[in-house]
Amino acid sequence: MKYLIFTVIGAILLIHTAVAAEKKLTISVYSFAQDAYKEALYDPFEAICDCELVIETGNSVERMAKIEANAANPVIDMAVISSHDALALARKGLLKNLDVSKLSSYKDLYEAAKDPLGDNWAVGYTFYASSIVYRSDLVQINSWKDLLSPELAGRVALPNITGTQGPLTLFMLSKALGHRGYGFEETIDTIGANADDIVTFYVRSSQLAQLMNQEEVIAAPVGRFAWSRFSSSPLPFVWATPKEGQTGGMNVMIMTKDNGNEELAYQFMDYWLSVESQTRIANAKIDSPANKNVKISDEVAESLTYGAELIDSLNIISPADIIDNRESWVERWNTKVIK
Amino acid sequence: MLALPATLFTATFFLLPVLVLLSEGFKIDDAWSLQGYADFISKPLNQTVFFRTLKLGFLVAGVSSIIGYATAFSIFHLPPKHRGRIFGLVVLPLMISPVARTYAWIVILGRTGIVNDAIVGLGLSNTPIRLLFTETAVFLGLLQLFMPLMIIPLVSAMENLPSDAIAAARVLGANWLQVFLKVILPLTKEGLVIGGTLVFTGSLTAYITPAILGGAKVLMLETLLYQRVNVANDFVSAGIIATILITMSFGANFLFKRIATART
Repeated sequence: MKYLIFTVIGAILLIHTAVAAEKKLTISVYSFAQDAYKEALYDPFEAICDCELVIETGNSVERMAKIEANAANPVIDMAVISSHDALALARKGLLKNLDVSKLSSYKDLYEAAKDPLGDNWAVGYTFYASSIVYRSDLVQINSWKDLLSPELAGRVALPNITGTQGPLTLFMLSKALGHRGYGFEETIDTIGANADDIVTFYVRSSQLAQLMNQEEVIAAPVGRFAWSRFSSSPLPFVWATPKEGQTGGMNVMIMTKDNGNEELAYQFMDYWLSVESQTRIANAKIDSPANKNVKISDEVAESLTYGAELIDSLNIISPADIIDNRESWVERWNTKVIK
Repeated sequence: MLALPATLFTATFFLLPVLVLLSEGFKIDDAWSLQGYADFISKPLNQTVFFRTLKLGFLVAGVSSIIGYATAFSIFHLPPKHRGRIFGLVVLPLMISPVARTYAWIVILGRTGIVNDAIVGLGLSNTPIRLLFTETAVFLGLLQLFMPLMIIPLVSAMENLPSDAIAAARVLGANWLQVFLKVILPLTKEGLVIGGTLVFTGSLTAYITPAILGGAKVLMLETLLYQRVNVANDFVSAGIIATILITMSFGANFLFKRIATART
C-alpha cells in the first residue's frame, strides 16, 4: 500500500512537472533594455506563474509582419507595440478584444491608457513625452517653430519621418506654424525649403546624443526616454517647454486573436500593469508607468514621463490619424525634403 | 562525385533564396507584373538615389585605383623585409569593424574635428563647414573602407610582373609615363579589374557607411532598401533594389573587363 501511495504521488508530481513545462507564453516586445526587463518583469513573473516566457524581439515592422503571417495559427500570444501599429493590426482583424474584467490593475490605469483604440483592442502600459533638447548657453527655445529659425540654421537636427518621433515633430511644428489638418503638407514643404539648414534627419536617439555631445547639433526634438543621455552630459542641455506644449505617445499591450493561450496572457498583462511591476520597471528607468498608483522618487521621475498632470497635458496625435496619413507623409517627405 | 551535393547545397541555400527575393519585384498582389519596376523608376527620389549610388560607386573605384596604383607601386619597390610590414598596415583596417571605422569619421569630419580645425586654422573659412551628412562624407568613408581591396590585388599583380620588364622598357627609351601605360598597366590589368569590381561592388552594397555618414539626407540604394523593408514592409521595392544592385555589380565587372581587354 505504501509503495502504491508513493507511486501515485510520484506520478502526480511527474505529470504536474510536465504540464508546468508545457505552459509557455510567447510575447513580442521591443528589443531595447531586455536585460533590465528580464530582471524587473520576466523573471519575477516566471517565478509566480510556473511557466516559461518565450521572448521575441525585433522592430515594429518585423514583429507586425510575423503576427500577420501567422494569423491562422498565431505564434505570438501577446505583444507590446505603439498605439498606431496596434490599430493597424486591429483593422486587419488580427487582435482580440480584451476582456478587461480579467485585468485587476485596469482600474488603476490613467484614463488615457484604459481604452486608447476603442473596443478594448489594447491597453496602454507606458507613456512618453517628446519635446526639444537644446544647448541653453547657445540658444533659447520658446516655440516649436524656433527649430526652423535662422539662429539654428545649420545646427539643428530633426527626426526622420520614418521613426516614431517624426510624425510627432510634424504635428507640433504644424501647430506652431498655424497649419491645420493632419496631412501636414505645408509643414513638410516648409521643412523641405529649410532642408539645407538641417544637419540631419536622425533615426535613433543614441545617434542624436552623439551629435549633440559632439556639438554638431545644438537643438533637436527627442523623446523623454532618451533624456538621461543628455542630462548626464557635461554640456548644458535643457528640456524645452515650448509654448505650444509637449507632444508624446503611448505604447500598448495587445493580444492576438484565437491564440489559445488567453488566460496566461491575461495573467502576464495584469502582472505587467500592477503597481509592483510598474514601479520596478520605472525605477529601472526603462519605461514610464501607466498605473497611476505608482510612486517614484523625483530623481527617477526626472528621466521618465510621470504624473497625471504631465500626461494629461501632452498633445497626442490619434493613432487613426497616423495610420490614415502615414503613407502620404512619407511620400511627400521623400519628394520635398529628401529629394 | 561531390559535384551533385555541392550543386544541391548551393541551389537550395543560395540561389533559391536569392531568386525568391528577386521575384518579389516582379509581383503585384501575387500576380506577375512589371508595374512595380515602372512605379519605382518613375519616382524622382528613386532616380536620384540610383544615380547617386552609381556616381559614388564609380568615383570611389576610380579614385581608389589611382591612389591604389601609387601605393601598390611603392610597396612593390620596397625591400622584401619592409614590404611585408607595410602590406600588413594596408590589410590592418580590414580587421577593424566597419562600424568603428565609420564612427571615427564622425569625429574627424565634425565641427570640432581635425579637418574643420585645420580649415579654420589655415584661414580657409571663418567658421567650421558642414562635412557630415554630405556626399563628400560618404565618399571619404567608402574610399577609406574599400581602399585595401584595391591595393591588395594590385600588389599581387605587380609581384607577377617580369622582373626585367620595366628596366627593359627604360633601356629602350620609354619615359615613366610610357612605362606605366605600355608595360605596367597592361601587365597588371587583372589586378585592376579585380580591385575595381570589389571596390565598386562594395560601395554599391555598403550599408553602414552611407547610413552613418549620409543618413536620410544622402540616401543610397542600400539605405533606401533598408527603409523600404523596415519601415514600409515594402518587399516589392526591396526586390527591385536588390535586382538593380546585382545587375549593377555584374555590369561593372563586365565593363571593367571590357576596358581592360580594349587596352591590350
